[in-house]
Amino acid sequence: MSIELDRDGDYITLSMGPHHPATHGVLRLVVTTDGEVVTACKPDIGYLHRSIEKIGEQLEWVQFVPYTDRVDYVCSMNSNHAWVLSAESLLASTPETRLAIPERAEYIRVLFAELNRISSHLVAVGAAAMDIGAFTPFLHAIAQREVINDIFEKTCGARLTYNYMAVGGVVRDMHPGAEDEIRSCLKVLEKAMVDFNRLITSNSIFKGRLGGVAPVDGATALSFGLVGPNLRGSGVDFDLRRDLPYGVYDRFDFEVPTGAAHAGSKGILGDCYDRFVVRLLEILESIKICRQALDQMPPSAGKEDDPVGGWWMQKAANKSLRKPPVGEVYFRTENPRGETGYHIVSDGTKMPYRVKIRTGSFTALSLLETMAPGLMIADLVAVIGSLDIVLPEVDR
Amino acid sequence: MTSFGPASDRLALWVADWGIPAGLSSWIAIIFLVAAPTLGIIFPIAGVAQYFERKIAALAQRRKGPMVGADGVVRLVIDLVLFWKPRWQRQAFQSRFESLPVVRSILGKIRQWGLGSIAADGVKMFLKEDMVPAGADRLLFHGSTYMVMLGGFMAYLVLPFSQGFHVADYPVGALFLGAVTGLVAVGILKAGWSSNNKWSHFGGIRAVAMIVSYETPIALCIAAVVMWSGTMSLQGIVAAQYHEGFFSFLGWNLLQTPLMLLLAVVYYIAGLAECNRAPFDLSEGESEIVGGFHTEYSGLRWGLFFIAEYADMMLVGGLFATMFLGGYQSPFGEQWIVALPQPFEALIHTAIMAAKFLASVGFMMWIRWTLPRFRIDQVMKLAWTKLVPLALFALFGLAISQLLAAGDHGVVRVVHGQYLSAPVVRLGLVGNLLSWAVLGGVAVALVVLAKRFGEPRPMDGAVSDALTGSGVWHRLPRVVAVPQKGDSA
Repeated sequence: MSIELDRDGDYITLSMGPHHPATHGVLRLVVTTDGEVVTACKPDIGYLHRSIEKIGEQLEWVQFVPYTDRVDYVCSMNSNHAWVLSAESLLASTPETRLAIPERAEYIRVLFAELNRISSHLVAVGAAAMDIGAFTPFLHAIAQREVINDIFEKTCGARLTYNYMAVGGVVRDMHPGAEDEIRSCLKVLEKAMVDFNRLITSNSIFKGRLGGVAPVDGATALSFGLVGPNLRGSGVDFDLRRDLPYGVYDRFDFEVPTGAAHAGSKGILGDCYDRFVVRLLEILESIKICRQALDQMPPSAGKEDDPVGGWWMQKAANKSLRKPPVGEVYFRTENPRGETGYHIVSDGTKMPYRVKIRTGSFTALSLLETMAPGLMIADLVAVIGSLDIVLPEVDR
Repeated sequence: MTSFGPASDRLALWVADWGIPAGLSSWIAIIFLVAAPTLGIIFPIAGVAQYFERKIAALAQRRKGPMVGADGVVRLVIDLVLFWKPRWQRQAFQSRFESLPVVRSILGKIRQWGLGSIAADGVKMFLKEDMVPAGADRLLFHGSTYMVMLGGFMAYLVLPFSQGFHVADYPVGALFLGAVTGLVAVGILKAGWSSNNKWSHFGGIRAVAMIVSYETPIALCIAAVVMWSGTMSLQGIVAAQYHEGFFSFLGWNLLQTPLMLLLAVVYYIAGLAECNRAPFDLSEGESEIVGGFHTEYSGLRWGLFFIAEYADMMLVGGLFATMFLGGYQSPFGEQWIVALPQPFEALIHTAIMAAKFLASVGFMMWIRWTLPRFRIDQVMKLAWTKLVPLALFALFGLAISQLLAAGDHGVVRVVHGQYLSAPVVRLGLVGNLLSWAVLGGVAVALVVLAKRFGEPRPMDGAVSDALTGSGVWHRLPRVVAVPQKGDSA
């Protein structure tokens, strides 16, 4: 038996990961514990590093879209969206290279981004519940996600990495009957969310496990660069979709849920329970946005495989992608895991000079080292679950 | 001569006829009496229970659960091998039942219901490699398995299944139970320590902290029931719940006084913790400490832990039935069953007992697939600040009511009456109604007080409405000022 004890006291060093069940991928945490209580926790990242940013410098702009799928594979649509919007905003800096994006394509992008946000949040809340030890809600959430995946599969042929959005539009129009399918899916989803909340969100053991655990106040969250639901869970009312709208987001009416002290079971603002609840409420808001997008969407041209503004349909686009303007752009979008920004530097050649990706999970993970001391091992798992870290997004 | 009750004595004499020395023969009899139910009854029941657990999990998760096991490579092989068969038959082999006709044959039903998974699990357990990690303490690593098993199985020796149908009817059966179930904690601690794995170590320590804490409320519950029944023999406890007439369930301890109901709830919760079931499964807590104390165990050795867990569950269910639900007695008209000739009586009683404790076990499974897990400090708090005071309260309450109502001999007890050294308390109709009214009144008062003076409910108002879809979501006040649209580029 050889459990190493620290010379100064009774500390145990645990290597939590990279194949620990609760680390959501290949995260390794070097945890020092005093019994059950964590005294230090160092995240060790990089196990999933695939040099995606470097690959971005070796590929043409349109070829990089499949790689954005792999940046955050839980919400590929949103990653695609972020990249194509970044590229288009740089191309729009000169009138010659500006692309005309069909309105229907804009609506499809927002619709699919919101559907993917729903499916991503379903994974997040389900996995958070599973980390706490409740396996059933996870499968309920996954079952709903499957319906959304089916819709995506019918439209773009893939269930996880979609490669659907293209610079200038989307690859092809939605499949026939998609609108009815999405509407009925949203209807079922709303009912399922009520079940989910009765099953786990209002469970007192669950509230006891998440409430009051690892609270992050608004100022700390801002100083650590927390984004998305984690930031809003701390009470900061900031959502790029509303405050710096991109695409057609300014045409929708939706609320931005924030964590509130009374939402947590112990009344501490920004605890794990607040972050969890914010995600649930965002699902409901996304349902609203999807419905509005379906209502406002201009009708289809009629042909199923009619590319809605894909870059290859526009001769000008083809030309402008060969010779993009010199300059740089940083474009931020609101992804399920918070603000995702693509910083593209262009030197006028057909490949970007530099691509830098800013992701929400990375900053969320940086908070762990500060938050962990004083928590228990079980709390650490709850914190990872509530921060909704996706490792490929951290390592890239 | 070492004796373990009449059954073991008879068996020992039988063994002694073969010329085996008396001391040895009695030990052989005892070992046989432990091993026979273990191997013959509990192993198969654990397999079947596991099948039902899967089905219950599937029910909770809106899946089909165990069915014909075939996918991936197997599907491909089936498609290639049976290429001339119609498509639906190939699908049947591949557990795709959407387009299947109704299966009528028994074999087809077995396949369709996935009953083969019971055998498959067993075979898998036997065939898997039994690994011992490097640096493990081999003796403890191997020994702890048996210790955990023994703790679970020994307790079955005193569990009565019918009148006179038991391995041993100890006069101090309740004490014996407390003694042998303590072995489980030691075994788990050894398993965790000897595995040379920090996660196992955590699991072992958690389990022991928890089991030792929860043995206190359990012991208090058993003490209260023993006091109420006036005997430590489990047969005696069952006999004390005998009630003449059609509504024989009126004699059950559970319905005697509200304090007994409270005690039953405390016992059930503590029992869940005692056998490491969710929401108290901290000692294996998969998402926290990987697999807990059995992280490093594989194959049959892991299977023995697994079976021991099911044995513990069934034991808790069996004790719950024995102490609160009248044991093997039927809820309606016990005296007719008692009057039956022997084999039938024993069979019916055993079936009733099995139904009772399997219902308990089923409820445990339901709980497991519904509730999340506690944290270790919450578990400790629950034991010492809630369950122990409640059990003590019930114990003293029962003592006082026994003091006040003692001497009521209005009930005829014919079953194993010789164990009843003290009169069983019967509160009578008025007393019963009064005590239930008092309990109900206290509960209502508590609820009213909590609503009036307690902390606000954790989720109320707008958030709750939005989450449950029953109201309109209102925007919450903003807390920190952040840059807005147009403030900066």
